[in-house]
Amino acid sequence: MADRKLIRNFSIIAHIDHGKSTLADQFLLKTGAITQREFRSQILDGMDLERERGITIRMHPVTLYHQMDGQTYELNLIDTPGHVDFTYEVSRSLAACEGAVLLVDATQGVQAQTVANAYLAIENDLTIVPVLNKIDMPTARPEIVMEEMEQALGIKPEEVMAASGKTGQGVEEVIRALIERVPPPSGDENAQLRGLIYNSHFDSYKGVVVYIRVMEGTIRRGQKIRFMGRATDGVVMDIGQFRPSPTPCENLSAGQVGFFMAHIKNLLEVKVGDTVTDALDPAAEPLPGYREPKPMVFSGLYPSNNNDFEALREALAKLQLNDCSFSFQPENSEGLGFGFRCGFLGMLHREIIQQRVERDSDLDLVQTAPNVTYEILNRKGEILVIDNPQKVPDAGQIEEFREPFIKISFLIPAGNIGDMMKICTDRRGVYMRTDYLSPTRALLVFEMPLAEVIYDLYDKLKSVTHGYGTMDYEIVGFRAEDLVRLDILVAGRKVEALSTIVHRSTAEVRGRRLIKKMREEIDRHLFEVVLQAAIGSRVVARESIAALRKNVTAKCYGGDVSRKRKLLAKQAEGKKRMKQVGQVELPQEAFLAVLETGD
Amino acid sequence: MVSPTENTPTLAHQPPVLAKPWVVPRSLYVHVPFCAKQCGYCDFAIAVGRTDRIDTYLDAVRAELARLVPGGENEPMPMDTWFVGGGTPSLLSAEQLRRLGRELAARTPLVAGGEASLEANPESFDDEKARALSEAGFNRVSLGVQAFEPGTLAALERPHDASLVARAVTAGRGAGLSVSLDLIFGAPGQTVRSWREDLRRAMELGPDHLSLYGLTYERGTPLEKKVRGGLVLPLAEELERELYDIAMTTLEAGGYKQYEISNFAKPGFESRHNRAYWANLAHFGVGMGAAGLVAGERTLNTRDLDRYLRLALAGEETAFQRERLDPLEVAKETLMMNLRRVEGMVASEFFDRTGLSLDSVFGGGADALVEQGLLARDNQGLRLTREGRFVADAVIVKLLAGAPATVEGAYPEGAA
Repeated sequence: MADRKLIRNFSIIAHIDHGKSTLADQFLLKTGAITQREFRSQILDGMDLERERGITIRMHPVTLYHQMDGQTYELNLIDTPGHVDFTYEVSRSLAACEGAVLLVDATQGVQAQTVANAYLAIENDLTIVPVLNKIDMPTARPEIVMEEMEQALGIKPEEVMAASGKTGQGVEEVIRALIERVPPPSGDENAQLRGLIYNSHFDSYKGVVVYIRVMEGTIRRGQKIRFMGRATDGVVMDIGQFRPSPTPCENLSAGQVGFFMAHIKNLLEVKVGDTVTDALDPAAEPLPGYREPKPMVFSGLYPSNNNDFEALREALAKLQLNDCSFSFQPENSEGLGFGFRCGFLGMLHREIIQQRVERDSDLDLVQTAPNVTYEILNRKGEILVIDNPQKVPDAGQIEEFREPFIKISFLIPAGNIGDMMKICTDRRGVYMRTDYLSPTRALLVFEMPLAEVIYDLYDKLKSVTHGYGTMDYEIVGFRAEDLVRLDILVAGRKVEALSTIVHRSTAEVRGRRLIKKMREEIDRHLFEVVLQAAIGSRVVARESIAALRKNVTAKCYGGDVSRKRKLLAKQAEGKKRMKQVGQVELPQEAFLAVLETGD
Repeated sequence: MVSPTENTPTLAHQPPVLAKPWVVPRSLYVHVPFCAKQCGYCDFAIAVGRTDRIDTYLDAVRAELARLVPGGENEPMPMDTWFVGGGTPSLLSAEQLRRLGRELAARTPLVAGGEASLEANPESFDDEKARALSEAGFNRVSLGVQAFEPGTLAALERPHDASLVARAVTAGRGAGLSVSLDLIFGAPGQTVRSWREDLRRAMELGPDHLSLYGLTYERGTPLEKKVRGGLVLPLAEELERELYDIAMTTLEAGGYKQYEISNFAKPGFESRHNRAYWANLAHFGVGMGAAGLVAGERTLNTRDLDRYLRLALAGEETAFQRERLDPLEVAKETLMMNLRRVEGMVASEFFDRTGLSLDSVFGGGADALVEQGLLARDNQGLRLTREGRFVADAVIVKLLAGAPATVEGAYPEGAA
């Protein structure tokens, strides 16, 4: 039985790029979990894509043993993702911990996500160990950053540790502070078993690997267990800890963190946030679970080649094995054929999923414009959840059209406040407040529709602040707005894949931009092609593509035949790849026009 | 492409009556590449400033024919048509023209009532050459007039002056030759008025046949380079269309009946040689850069004069490209060529040629085009409407795109 008093469970929370993974790797090195020889950058970022982008999406727990003052401490590090889309994953990690290292880059200072994640930790009653990272850098300005930490988060300067993930400087002091400041877990190892499932992953050889934090009691190999939420039973076949490679052990007791396998074949059978108890001696009450992550951004994902539909389904199903926050269901679009409606946590999540599918399955994909989830209160008093513009009913049936609003915080140089205010108000933002962390840096808070954020707000922020601004947001709820569905008609036929939901005040501008862009992408036809943007039956914008008037080879004799045949056959092949809407051939670029209509 | 089969018929031993016209050639094309200069729009296989090689070239043509018709002069292959194109065949002297006739007749004699054409430029065609041509067995001359209006001639970089055209027509007539004129429309700077004037002057000379070609800016030609460099402005598409429209209307009114996209003739004077191309029938192609279609195989001779001379004189293969098409490609090519004819793709001819039903291969793509008034469909087959001729390429592309990915029941190409 592990001695609870010697266990410390903690996370590292930080803004993206502030050196979280590098610091985690230093912990592994300093505690002897890996040797200097094995030390390579960012061990815990298991996925290539994560390493490539320098961000951590999935949690990789690790158990470390550290000798200090004649005692061997068991340190469980539960890594957290650092991007805005993955806030819910952060809260999952925090629920399994008693403490958190709050890591701030000494060269960049407090950022929007630092603030958001620190508040998450405080709400979870975690003990915070503030650490200034990258203090070896010549551009580090520790005094100013400590002042920002005090202003923004109320952290006293004397509590702040200084370290360098790169050189290892100060890392042992951080470990000491963790042991001294973070309380050991509470919970009785002899009580009835209650373990929190905080993650899981699918292994093609072992089946589902369940990540567990034991809150009370003990879980053993061979034990008959019950998932309380699902009310399903199983037998623990294998149990262990990540040190960092999976290492078997006999049991995990209250306060410990590890994994087990129980012959579970499908990841969907294990609900993250569920409580594991003993099937023969079940606990009365489950642990407080998690809020289910709800996909907030949707878009259609179609194979460029319609024959790849099944292959795409397989690829998406495989991805879902390790990412329950991602959802998909088949849909059919007149323009694009058969594909899937996919739900994502946010825009980054969406981009990552697409890249993974393309990389893992070698498929070419077409994505439709992203949209958020809407709610419609109809005349009958029913609330419809709209994840696809095609599902919007006729205007006459709509009592209220609601969209998700977010509270969004920007941490930006004070000089950019004016520009950022304009960007936000242009996007229907409602100003909330400005907090100055220092004379030069300010936290700007707005409430605005999520739909206005998903297109290009992040790019705008980066461009206005020359890369120095950061943002974070949380959903605050659905609000009724004057929303309409903007339809695109090609030669009089509505192309459903091109419909979008927009605010009435911007519909005309959006529609005009969209069809102008499409006009550039569509070849001339044997007839005039009219493009229209419409709200219901009211046309708000119109463009036309003139008909082809003369297109004929003048001379075609014996010597011209081969060349001509090849040329025309090639053009015919090109046409076959296009999507047919009535008599009009739309290249895939035309469908992507919706994505590129930012100003 | 299908690899050549071992039982390809030996042509010389096919009884002509039984041989299918798309397997055994009944037409002979001979290319004469020599030119005094290159015209701005030209991308043909030509040789400028090499007239000293003409006699050697005639030796080479003789040698290539000997290789193609291995039975020798005892087993000649009769031809329904000859066509000598260029280049500028009229650069040959009267004596050289007579010799050319003898060489062709030796192994590929023209049948009685056959058609034998030669392309000539007005500045190098006079009474003497016209007589020589007639003596050589030719009965038709195709004059590369291109334009009468000085502005258009200059834009096309043509050396002759309009007065030479009348002389050439008179010479041809005097020698008993049927006369055809070539004109180009859509040249930079051309107007409706100047084109009407060109047409009027051409018809005034009373040729039997007229070919009217919309100017094409072929990639890499001097004229195309000028367009790309912004030195020459091509005509607006709408004006090009109008010029073509005017041509069709004017010639029909003058008694010239259109029988192909670019060709018009008085009744009975349609070019039989060119009709063989548009029906996608077999033909020999002899000379530098010439293209042939024999027993389902397309060949293209080298476009380098010295290389051609060396290979042909040595009795070696002169083609640098050879291809055999699969049945679906043959079907597409047959449609593409036949649709150029005013009578269009005749379903029974399509079936004879390919073993496939026209409707099953191209019917799917045809529906919308018929609806748009660009294509006509009846019991006889498919053909372009007058409106469809303006956009023939786009119509063909639509038909090709509507074809199935595979076909069954087609004849193996080259089967007799």
